[in-house]
Amino acid sequence: MTARGLLSAADALIHDLGREPAAPAQARPLALLIALIVSAAVYGACMGSFSAYSAARVPQIAYAAIKVPMLVVVTSGLCMPGFVVLNLTLGLGADLGSALRAIAFAQCALGVALGSLAPFPLLVYASGASHDGALIGNAVLFSLATAIGHTVMRRRYRELSAQPEHGGRHRVMLWVWTTLYAFVGMQMGWMLRPFVGSPGMPAAFLREEPFTNAYIEIIDLFLRW
Amino acid sequence: MKAFRQLDNLLRAAHLAQRSAVLRPELGLGPLLFFVLSLGALYGFFMGWYSVSVHWGQSGADGWLQLLASTLKFPALFLCTLLVTFPSLYVFSALGGVHLDFEQALRVMLAAIVVHLTVAASLGTILAFFTLSTRSYPFMVVLNIALLGVAGSIGLAFLRRALQTMSTSVLPVAPVLEAPAAPAASEAQAPPPQSDSSVPPPASRGAPQVAAEAQTARMIFRVWTVLYGLVGVQMAWLLRPMIGRPELTFSWFRAREGNFFLGALQNLADMFGP
Repeated sequence: MTARGLLSAADALIHDLGREPAAPAQARPLALLIALIVSAAVYGACMGSFSAYSAARVPQIAYAAIKVPMLVVVTSGLCMPGFVVLNLTLGLGADLGSALRAIAFAQCALGVALGSLAPFPLLVYASGASHDGALIGNAVLFSLATAIGHTVMRRRYRELSAQPEHGGRHRVMLWVWTTLYAFVGMQMGWMLRPFVGSPGMPAAFLREEPFTNAYIEIIDLFLRW
Repeated sequence: MKAFRQLDNLLRAAHLAQRSAVLRPELGLGPLLFFVLSLGALYGFFMGWYSVSVHWGQSGADGWLQLLASTLKFPALFLCTLLVTFPSLYVFSALGGVHLDFEQALRVMLAAIVVHLTVAASLGTILAFFTLSTRSYPFMVVLNIALLGVAGSIGLAFLRRALQTMSTSVLPVAPVLEAPAAPAASEAQAPPPQSDSSVPPPASRGAPQVAAEAQTARMIFRVWTVLYGLVGVQMAWLLRPMIGRPELTFSWFRAREGNFFLGALQNLADMFGP
């Protein structure tokens, strides 16, 4: 595929993400996955470039480029079995395809939104942001991309939620997915840290103590406070 | 593959909990028991990972023994709870106007446990992920209680709907049991009740009477649900360690002391304690 063809395919996919659910979706699951991985990796690379002026810090760019797509894809994968079975037990098996498509579109939208925000961390870093400032800036950008992903999910769930018979259950499942995803995603983000990386420390794929629990850390933080 | 299709059919019918779905001839006691054992073992396996994870790199086989114990004990927990509570369910449901024979009642109960365990096993990926990423025992206890609580409430909702459907159903039992697997929609075209049925169809009883019976059935079910819950959690306490406290050496069973609620509260306090 030529560069022009690739760009026009990406353009079609992005427009497909914003399309109303009633319109026939063109994007295939594999295309959505590739778009998600590439876009999130681009954001990750920019995110990991904090204080990358020394050679020792350069690998952090590659690590973050690998870990950001991992964060999104693995979190979705872990939540998926529970979501499918809960849909089936609530009698939503007939709409399972639409529900899974909504998730695929939402996750892809989250990744593409992150990709589109990739220049922002560079600007923040170039503006001389401290390590804390870099963390806060990235948290804001992640929140924005997550909100966009959730908006796409809600839009694609609109028809399901409006069903006279099963609408209420679909709304419950939308809430269940969001809760599960947030619960697992937070721990996944904690495990996969550092994404930005502390400037004084060498680049690392994972912290020396990656297998700790984010929620216990938060509780400890509050107790110490 | 056939077993998987049967499980899929059961889950798809879970919200309807229709007589035809639950009492299908191919969904006999054997397959249901198989699902209870295999899905229970699967969740127990995920549960037992915690012990392997915290004992990793240490001498001794405590972690692996706990994994084996959890895999064996988790399905046993459900079967023992069933053993204790099934007679009361059978009697209570009969008193509540559900006209099922012993085997049918057992199948409905096992189907509810299968729904419970399927939901639990599907959340097992999340449990496994947290198992690998945390060393906090109280957190794992609270997480397991939360996941099993969610799955249990879905299983009980299935059972409640199943018993409710059957208490007000006008369908005769025999033709449905003998009918081949059919989509749930075909229930609408089922034949009218047979005249030899000993149970008067709701149409022959007055509407207020049917409503009063349904209310009684609901109340009886609520009482039984409380009993089932209490027995289940106490059984889990008796069969502990299910997860395996890291500072204690492995044993198949712990001394009989305390109760589930004290243990759960203690773990909650430990999680938030200094």
